[in-house]
Amino acid sequence: MNSKIWSDCIKEVKSVSILQLSRPKKYLLVGMIIFGVLALIFVTHNQSLYQRPIAQVVSVSNGQAQRTEDEFKNVDHQTEQVLSTRLMNGKDRGKKVTVQNTYSDSQPLDQQYRVGNQLFLSQLKEKDGKLSANPAGLKRDTVVVFLSWLVIMILLVTMGRAGGFALISVVINTILFLLAVSIDLHNQGSHVLLIFSTLALIFTIVSLLLVLGPTKKMLATLGATVAGTTVAILIGVLVLQLTNNRGVYYESMQYVTQVPRPLFIAEILLGSLGAVMDESSDIVATLFELKRIDPQVSRLQLFMSGRSVGKSIMGPLVNVLFLIFMADTFTSSLLYLKNGNSWGYTFNMNMSLGMVQSLISGIGIVLAVPVVSLLGALLLGRRSNK
Amino acid sequence: MSSITALGLVLLCVMVLVGGKQGWRSFLSLLLNFGFLFFAIVLIELHVPPMFVTITTGVIILAITIFMGEDDLRTTVTAFYSSLIVLALLIFLIVFISHWAMVQGFGAEDSDDLEGMSILIGISYLKVSVTAIVISTLGAIAEAAMAISAGLTEILETHPQISNSRLIEGGMGIGRQIIGTTLNTLFFGFFGGFLSLFIWFAGLHYSFGMIFNNKIFVAELIEILISFLGVLLTVPITSLVMVRRRNLLVDKSTETK
Repeated sequence: MNSKIWSDCIKEVKSVSILQLSRPKKYLLVGMIIFGVLALIFVTHNQSLYQRPIAQVVSVSNGQAQRTEDEFKNVDHQTEQVLSTRLMNGKDRGKKVTVQNTYSDSQPLDQQYRVGNQLFLSQLKEKDGKLSANPAGLKRDTVVVFLSWLVIMILLVTMGRAGGFALISVVINTILFLLAVSIDLHNQGSHVLLIFSTLALIFTIVSLLLVLGPTKKMLATLGATVAGTTVAILIGVLVLQLTNNRGVYYESMQYVTQVPRPLFIAEILLGSLGAVMDESSDIVATLFELKRIDPQVSRLQLFMSGRSVGKSIMGPLVNVLFLIFMADTFTSSLLYLKNGNSWGYTFNMNMSLGMVQSLISGIGIVLAVPVVSLLGALLLGRRSNK
Repeated sequence: MSSITALGLVLLCVMVLVGGKQGWRSFLSLLLNFGFLFFAIVLIELHVPPMFVTITTGVIILAITIFMGEDDLRTTVTAFYSSLIVLALLIFLIVFISHWAMVQGFGAEDSDDLEGMSILIGISYLKVSVTAIVISTLGAIAEAAMAISAGLTEILETHPQISNSRLIEGGMGIGRQIIGTTLNTLFFGFFGGFLSLFIWFAGLHYSFGMIFNNKIFVAELIEILISFLGVLLTVPITSLVMVRRRNLLVDKSTETK
């Protein structure tokens, strides 16, 4: 029985996919595959573009594993490796280099190299005509290119024009983001909040223009996104002030080169922006649809239906951001626990910032629901009075 | 009162004010997800195999997010099944990609934070990084599966006689409507956390070549791309599951007659 249903299912899919793979789609698919192969050929043969020496592992000889144990009774094993490698760029290209490497079973900062791996080298030096060096990390650009290509191809082939616009929006936003980072560095980190809230506003306008076009819908969504995010940040900052930032460990923030607190607020702002936009545009779309079906719909009705749509979206959206923010703390939390720290200390030093970020973003996502419903109701109501 | 408790209470208040009973349930799902996430770390600390933890935690978090987010069983069960299929596919992909990229553990930029720590803990960081990447994508998968499944349920309600291929087309159509904003949610969600890392890279004048081979950057980028891929896979798979479940429902009703 089940297999019959599945074969029916597969038949349906085939008929649909044949329908969908119209001529332009077929060209797109073929084009993307050719592009992907070319990109992969380029990225596997681009060693000469790098300044740092790159070598490929030809053969490996592993030593005996040494048992290590720390004061917390964590048992691990360390192994010495001698890699004979061949240089792939620079003036000594093609020459043999001997690389000493040590790796452990858990591989936190180190890693085991295998035959065929390409790696960066540091401290390349010549002694008695023999080259030796230290390993300085795997060459990872091939993975990046492969995965990006896979995602872009699936995006364009399954989502068509909508996928194209989504891709353009991501690319433009990345460029804007990099621009803002360089402006921030130019100002030596003063005005962080001003720079990144301006950036957030531009992000919102660009993304919404690309998704919705220059319409009334877009204006309503924009208004709601800006209002919801601003109010949430203000509430968040107020609560943090009132409670004297108790239990919030800014010093645990990673990769900080500037004053941590404004940077953290800017991170919250950017992090929640997409989710608030997502939700607002869903609600606005529903309200416009209701208005189209029944032009006589009252403001109160519009507001109530906006709220009921928002109610069911907000929970999953808050969870999306929460899981993104918290997954990043997973590895370091494990390390803290393994170093004999208590659950409370581990939480404070690793998860407190992610938690604050999730909570303030959550407040923004929830507050945007009444704001966007109200804006939509007012906007569409006024139109019917004309 | 600590800031986190205060912010939590504010969130609870606005959620209940705006969403009523559903708001309360959303808050509860957040709490439960946090509990299971922390529990997952503790299990790995106790040397439970990370892959086992990944799968069980993954299924539990998906179930919490989906079943506590909606009431309609037709929507939620379909969304749950399809998100499980996507989860299975993604786990294979993530294992493959992370063994290729080797971005587990920490990078050279983390060395300040690691000072005084014993980092050789005897647990494979590679396996742990698979767990972390899977967890970061769960929310996105659940949300997309629910959006598609809710839309399809509505189509089925208004047009019960619609053909299967039309239904799949409908699912893809809903996918096209949500893809732009969903990718934005993920993009901003991840880039929010990128900010300080990027300022670091730019401040120390990392070259393009250094950034695209940097362990931390590549790890973050893999998380983003895998989440995108998760959403993209969810669209057709949810449509297919809906077609299949609809057939089962129809068969059952004819058999009992």
